[in-house]
Amino acid sequence: MKKINFQDKSAEKIYHSYIRRIDRTLSVLPKSDKIDLLMEYNSHIYEGLQSYGHKSEVERLLQITQNLGDPEVFLKPLVAERKLIQATKTFNPKHIFQAIFLNIGNGFVYSLFALLYLCLFSFLFLIITKILYGTQVGLYINDGKFVALGILDVGPGDIEVLGSWFIPVLLISMVLLYLLITFLLKAMKRK
Amino acid sequence: MEDDFVRRWESQVKKGTLAFILLNILRDNEYYGFELMEQTRRLTDIQIAEGTLYPLMNRLKKENLVSSKWVEQESGIPRKYYKLTGNGISTLKIMVEYWKKLEESIDKII
Repeated sequence: MKKINFQDKSAEKIYHSYIRRIDRTLSVLPKSDKIDLLMEYNSHIYEGLQSYGHKSEVERLLQITQNLGDPEVFLKPLVAERKLIQATKTFNPKHIFQAIFLNIGNGFVYSLFALLYLCLFSFLFLIITKILYGTQVGLYINDGKFVALGILDVGPGDIEVLGSWFIPVLLISMVLLYLLITFLLKAMKRK
Repeated sequence: MEDDFVRRWESQVKKGTLAFILLNILRDNEYYGFELMEQTRRLTDIQIAEGTLYPLMNRLKKENLVSSKWVEQESGIPRKYYKLTGNGISTLKIMVEYWKKLEESIDKII
């Protein structure tokens, strides 16, 4: 992208800092989308500078950026929406994670997603602890009732039921949970 | 309190009709972003939140209502021109019809 040239050093600083803020806010978007939007804001600033011709560079630039507003605010809905589209297309955990957290402000249901995602990571954590600590990790029941899924200081009557199936069962649950989150996100997007 | 309510309502109305306004402005001409914003201000007296213009145009493009092209300028800073697509023109017709009906209905009760 061709940068705008300024005579005034302060104006140049303000300009670069504003463009950096847009760039940073858009960092989660695919590169081509990011460049396209950056170029568009750059063009807006340039055209604005030409049209408010009679004032100083700093004054004109400040008026333009003030009218545009804070990039973190005006770009948030776009970034959140784009991330959601990307997440449901790619199945990439990084994108899904970002999509959920960017959309948490957009309704209760995304908090639920966050919770499901947390569950997913706890399962992973449990698998690792099972490998490291073996016997104290499992699915415990006592007298037919659920006691704990996780790490337990085993008491009288507590029975671990999964045994060597613990890791495979958790792995399958993780896959199912992951698919559930992704398909629910897709369903949300269609609404 | 009432003032607050009215302000919030006004901002909701503006937000809800902005796409409709922009599509109408693009009906007869193609414009680049800054020009589109100035036209909106000149023709409607509506001050749009300028930063939100581009994400909105982006959305209209994704919905295949407008198309855009970058046009190189002597300054080296290109302009992105927007125009209505065929789908945009027919969608706008439906929107205008709906708007007129809405206007009539509201006129009856106010």
